[in-house]
Amino acid sequence: MTILRQIYWLLWKDILLEIRRRETLLSMFFFGTVLLFLFHFSFEIPPERIAEMAPGLLWLAFVFTGTLALTQLFHVEMESQCLEALLLCPMDRGAFYLSKVLFNFLLMVLVELVVFPLFGILFNIDFWRHLPALFSIVFLGTIGFCALGTLFSALTLRAHAKELLLPLILFPLIIPAILGTIRGMEIILGARDLQELFPWVHLLIAFDVIFLTVGFLIFEWVIEA
Amino acid sequence: MGVVVRQLAKAYGYLWALKEVNLEFSDGDCVALLGPNGAGKTTLLKLLSALLYPTTGEIKIDGERLRRGNSDLRAVIGFLSPDGQIYETLTAKENLHFFVSLCGKKIDPRELDQVLDQVGLGDWSDTYASSLSHGMKCRLAIAKWSLLQPKILLLDEPYGVLDGTGINLLENYLKGLCEKGGIVVMATHNVARILSFCTRALILQGGKIIFDEPRQEPWESFHRSFAAFLPRDNR
Repeated sequence: MTILRQIYWLLWKDILLEIRRRETLLSMFFFGTVLLFLFHFSFEIPPERIAEMAPGLLWLAFVFTGTLALTQLFHVEMESQCLEALLLCPMDRGAFYLSKVLFNFLLMVLVELVVFPLFGILFNIDFWRHLPALFSIVFLGTIGFCALGTLFSALTLRAHAKELLLPLILFPLIIPAILGTIRGMEIILGARDLQELFPWVHLLIAFDVIFLTVGFLIFEWVIEA
Repeated sequence: MGVVVRQLAKAYGYLWALKEVNLEFSDGDCVALLGPNGAGKTTLLKLLSALLYPTTGEIKIDGERLRRGNSDLRAVIGFLSPDGQIYETLTAKENLHFFVSLCGKKIDPRELDQVLDQVGLGDWSDTYASSLSHGMKCRLAIAKWSLLQPKILLLDEPYGVLDGTGINLLENYLKGLCEKGGIVVMATHNVARILSFCTRALILQGGKIIFDEPRQEPWESFHRSFAAFLPRDNR
């Protein structure tokens, strides 16, 4: 119960600060939308190939906007030595990690709720009948991205060029989550047999469980380094 | 409550900020931590608060080693920094509520108002911390630690940002804490002020303790040691 209470208060603080500052979420919305328009004007995708290409483009937009959020994830903590203030609290460092994963996940889901329909309109894709299945697979991919991304965001917190360093170390390791989500979305959009989907769902679940557990266990060493 | 520091050393890369520091603090100690810039005062305070971990040596609080994952020990340590360590976009009251709740203490909102009144921030309780001056942020930090009631309070140069009333407020709080058996260690350059109420003085120079004595009157040995690192014109 103690850890849940700590997560609640840390999340309360992050949400309240984001509502007041409106920095990260607005930047993510804007960046995500700009990326979609760039893709729209750059690629002329024939209708028969849309199911193959849409997931990749959509996930590129999510990964880039998500990385933008990750670079700002601990920004409020770095102001006025608030990170030190948090580390002085007798709280579980794992609770700190999980609260940041949840906050990042919340931001990404909000962006996805806007970017998904906009992508459908721009590329003339009929998302709607596949929406529950698509959201499920994107949900799993987003958790994996946030679990690993939060860990690396904390790891690069004190680095000089953290905005450059973060994508360089995150992108190679996030490949299984991106691959699993893109392949899963291709299967759903192509209306293929759902049996083909299960290996990718298993991969995503394993990725999420492994990195959430690793992050929870080692966050103390990462954040106090 | 006893704090024992044994063979403590801290290196930043090739630079040794602290070397073989041995200390003991006991109930009611109010310690002035003095020394020139770069002597290792802040490093020692951060090691004592577990914000940094030693390269060699150990710190024990009531016989228990201060190390990662020891939340129980963290609950007895406070660190008051002049920057206040508060969130700029939360109000004074929200900052207090957040930190006190995160530390697992239940608090009545009226108690928050009362503490803010005591530190002279009653009229600013709903003001964002970003609109508060450095002195007011320091007062807010005093309010935070008076609610959290640590048994060991470490302070890093708090005098610089506080006005006369703020200094009196801080000193009264520190005296009260020591009277209740708490331990206070304050790093400062305001020697005259800290010597008026400390019970012991430590002088650090080049990462080593060069002086450690309980307060006495007259205190010739202190003045001799302290003069050693003053500029020649000021001796």
